[in-house]
Amino acid sequence: MTSSTSHAPLRISKLAGRYLIFDIDDVMYLRRNHNMCSVFTGTTPQNPQQNVFMGLPLELMPEEVKVLVDKHVAYVADDAAFHPARLASLDAPSRQAYLQTLKDEGRAAYQEFVDQQRRKPKPSQVKAKNKKSEPSSSTESPRKGTEDEEEASLFDSSPAPTPADPTPKPEAEPEGYAVTHTTSSLLLTQQPPHQQPITSPIPSPAIEVPASYPLYAHLQHKGYYMMPGLRFGCDYNVYPGDPLRFHSHFQATHHGWEEEITMLDIVAGGRLGTGVKKGYLLGGAVSETHTEHIDGNDTGRGVDITASHGKGGDGTIPHVRTFCIEWAGM
Amino acid sequence: MSDSHHIRHLVDTVLDNLQYQHDWTQLQVLTHSPVDGSPLPRPLISGLPLRRLYLHPDDQLEMLKAHPKPEDRLPETPEIEWVLPTHLAEKWSLKSFASVFDSMPAQAPSRPERPKRILLATIHDDSTIVYYFMHDGLVKPRQN
Repeated sequence: MTSSTSHAPLRISKLAGRYLIFDIDDVMYLRRNHNMCSVFTGTTPQNPQQNVFMGLPLELMPEEVKVLVDKHVAYVADDAAFHPARLASLDAPSRQAYLQTLKDEGRAAYQEFVDQQRRKPKPSQVKAKNKKSEPSSSTESPRKGTEDEEEASLFDSSPAPTPADPTPKPEAEPEGYAVTHTTSSLLLTQQPPHQQPITSPIPSPAIEVPASYPLYAHLQHKGYYMMPGLRFGCDYNVYPGDPLRFHSHFQATHHGWEEEITMLDIVAGGRLGTGVKKGYLLGGAVSETHTEHIDGNDTGRGVDITASHGKGGDGTIPHVRTFCIEWAGM
Repeated sequence: MSDSHHIRHLVDTVLDNLQYQHDWTQLQVLTHSPVDGSPLPRPLISGLPLRRLYLHPDDQLEMLKAHPKPEDRLPETPEIEWVLPTHLAEKWSLKSFASVFDSMPAQAPSRPERPKRILLATIHDDSTIVYYFMHDGLVKPRQN
């Protein structure tokens, strides 16, 4: 794996208690280098009713966020607080540039809309339309340039971006749509690239992880990919590689070191796991009072994954013991 | 008192089942560790099944490579298995399972490491017994 320090810390937005990633490059980086896939939660605007194909943002589990923050791969930004704070701290040129970007985007969106309207073929004149559209757009562009400057000076006097107004303006004054950004990404990219991200030294908000965190961290450290386990009645679905390439190996359920496990749960889990070609994995952190053989775990066959994904020993990984259950076939 | 009686009963039931239903041989009950003589958390049964019960998927892969022709029968030398008798109404924990594994004796003088798997025998009141493998650590599932 590539060194995690070679990549600038990822920005994880905390919004309404959920940890989200809005940048597709970050999503790809996590998937390639930190064996995390997580779950896309964004709907597609063209078809908001379906939930089979989801898009950005990516929602990370708190366990994943904690692992990333502990490895200094990412930091958590409270976006609700960040956005107004960043807006207030903009100096005049960057503020001007920000407003200009918003205007440019609004105008581009409006232009797109106009072009689409124009391109819409009337049944009678489909042929004529294609020839006509080219010259009309070329005559329009120089006129648009002069208006750009006018608007920039106009807008300078008004202190805040205008609220969203989805109705298209008449073509006499192509001001463009007022764009309301759903993320703060525009504010982020305006930072000079040589500067460190301003938010990284700020301590991340405390991450509340579920009790199953030790098991997650243990498996994550070994290079497994974890997905939510609801489908198989467990805490995590554990994949030996990217879930697009591999069948999952385990359904993992966390238990406390001395927490009582009913035998029926083991039998049911083992039965279900074997039925779907998985192992039922029980695991949990060894409590501090337990000082016996700590060499017991993870020698033998299980380590081939560790070897290929070998990471520098990180002291923050809790000591976890795991047991795998399969039907014996008798 | 009643507890040890109950456990002895479990052991006997599983022993009978292994011997008469599954035709295991060389059945033995181990109540004390052969290393230091301390009592095991629960008596273990060891025995030799008729056929090989467990084959690790990696070993299976190598065997298939070594015997590419399907008409070649895979070698089936049975291995000694260790059985942990339990009752369905019991409550176990990670700690108690770990103590069972940690107390297991070495398989043979030639193989000093302790076994990494047990056969979990669970008895129900209607005398049904189900057998599940339990592995110590992350062991990938078989391609059954």
